[in-house]
Amino acid sequence: MRGALLICKKEFMELMKDRKTMFFTFLLPVLLYPAIFGMMSKLGRNDEEKRKSKASRVAVVDASQTLLPLLRTEPTLFEVVSAPEGDVKQAINDEKLEMQVEVDEDAAAKLEAQQTFSVKATYDRSNDSSRLALTRLKEQLQKQDKTWVQARLKTMGAPADLASPTKLESVDAGGESRVMGRIMGSMLPYLLMIMMFAGSMQHGIYATAGEKERGTLLSLLATSLPRNQIVLGKLLYVFSIGILSALINLASLGISMLLTFSKEAAVNAPSAGPGMGSLSALANPATLALTFFLMVPLGLCFANFIVLMGVQAKNAVEAGSSIMPGFFAVMMMAVFSMAPGIEKMAWLPYVPILNVSLAIRKLFVHQGNIPEYLLALVMTVGLAAVFTWLSTRMLKRESALFKV
Amino acid sequence: MIQLTDVYKTFTVKDKRTRAKKQVEAVKGLSLTVKPGEIYGLLGPNGAGKSTTLRMIAGLMQPNQGRIQVCGLDTVEQPEKARAKVGYLSTDLNVYGRFTPRELLRIFGEFQGLDAKVAERRGMYLMEKLQLDDFADVKMEGFSSGQKQKVSIARALLHDPKVVIFDEPTTGLDVLTAKTVLDLLRVMRAEGRTVIVSTHVMPMVEEICDRVGIIFDGLLYGDASPKQILDDWGVKTLDEVFFELAARSAAEV
Repeated sequence: MRGALLICKKEFMELMKDRKTMFFTFLLPVLLYPAIFGMMSKLGRNDEEKRKSKASRVAVVDASQTLLPLLRTEPTLFEVVSAPEGDVKQAINDEKLEMQVEVDEDAAAKLEAQQTFSVKATYDRSNDSSRLALTRLKEQLQKQDKTWVQARLKTMGAPADLASPTKLESVDAGGESRVMGRIMGSMLPYLLMIMMFAGSMQHGIYATAGEKERGTLLSLLATSLPRNQIVLGKLLYVFSIGILSALINLASLGISMLLTFSKEAAVNAPSAGPGMGSLSALANPATLALTFFLMVPLGLCFANFIVLMGVQAKNAVEAGSSIMPGFFAVMMMAVFSMAPGIEKMAWLPYVPILNVSLAIRKLFVHQGNIPEYLLALVMTVGLAAVFTWLSTRMLKRESALFKV
Repeated sequence: MIQLTDVYKTFTVKDKRTRAKKQVEAVKGLSLTVKPGEIYGLLGPNGAGKSTTLRMIAGLMQPNQGRIQVCGLDTVEQPEKARAKVGYLSTDLNVYGRFTPRELLRIFGEFQGLDAKVAERRGMYLMEKLQLDDFADVKMEGFSSGQKQKVSIARALLHDPKVVIFDEPTTGLDVLTAKTVLDLLRVMRAEGRTVIVSTHVMPMVEEICDRVGIIFDGLLYGDASPKQILDDWGVKTLDEVFFELAARSAAEV
């Protein structure tokens, strides 16, 4: 193992000599996610604040004057404008107004007769401001409906509760941590897979096909180090970079999300805790440890695949081309693993890589299944071992070594 | 000591046009012995099998048939132990541009089982001998080919190998650097090391080699002192032996 550690040390030393690569591998993710999330959050908040602070421009066609006075009493929500000449839909699409409301001509009479009258709202579903106008109208009508129903009940001499036979009280048995666990459980395997693979890919190519191309691999092979130790050392390096890269990206992403959501929570409900539920869902040590134990062999599988492809390639370009299909396969699997309801598929625990996603997903919603977890672990370890054996064999093949 | 007994090496090559695979015999039944304190020159045109032979001795390739021993160690059965006795240098080998010579020599010393400090000390001694000590802490990415070759020589000799294999050690070097390399080869002979060198530079062969073998079409000719070969073939230069062999080969075809 000494040889493998020495090779790994050499690879890290080489990496540390390249400041640009160090920056892009370790520092950029730390800066990038907070910047992206901060910017997105700020832009989103500004846009929402702008929209909310502005009254919706609404044209109201209400001959019986049933709704119009009501909307006029809320000048912060509605700005009543005159109905557009020509096509209403075109006027809304041209953003001359957000919505047109047409009320039945005999609405007042129907209301008097305790009948139902129609209100037709024309809006643009693709436009946030237009959607907001409809939401405001719905809320206003809901409030007014309640008042009108109460008035009708009073006229009839019926109790106020007549229109509300049930009162629903919902209690969340799972709690916030379980909700966050479900979200994290579906997202985390996807993020980990993509980050581990993408993070180690270029380093793997540099350390294998790149060495061949630069003519330095032979000098390593000419030393007294056993070839399997050289492969193991490179594997260890690629694996470590993958894990490090995934952890840095995740930590940065997690912290950025947490900070963003905390700000959102503080703005929306100042009394609410700053996203503590998500924190507790993430910080469960047993869940994190079990996830890590699964990610280690998975990371080894990825590193093995990258090293295997890198060793058999003539140069870095060929290595990149042969690794890319593997990356796409992992990406497809990662996307598939996010799909809702996949945990119900009976064959899934027997599919390598996907079963890791499934096991992590279940861990995060506290539905961990020991046989499924062990199966995923054993299969992934087995796959990693097969790839290691193949890489070592490949580096012993002269046809692979002297391809350049 | 290096001992090759009836060594064969075959490669499978693919014809790009016909897509057919065929076997090419690069080395055909080669036997030779190089003793300690001797410089053996391996000559031959491009593609004759020189580099393949040297790579097999260095343990980078395995023979299909026959046996290669380095200091009594079989290169197939005990590859790591055999490689530990060898210092290998080739034009195919490059240096790690991101490292300084000091760092590279320390790392390679550790690969060869030396303590990091010992490796660095020995590396610096070799750098001084090769007149490159002023550049010991400069990144090698900007080095000239001569400077890189000197660092490669230091890397090959770092672990004090009993057997030294230099594949075209003066290719691409200026006269001064080439002289430094030749002087170093003489020192190694004086120290009792077994040295085998391949080259195209005939004056160099006549100047430093104790014995010479000419590889042509995978077969070994000569295996005697340069003077003996010239006498045996009745020619004035080793180049003429090449021409004679080429003419014979053409006549056989």
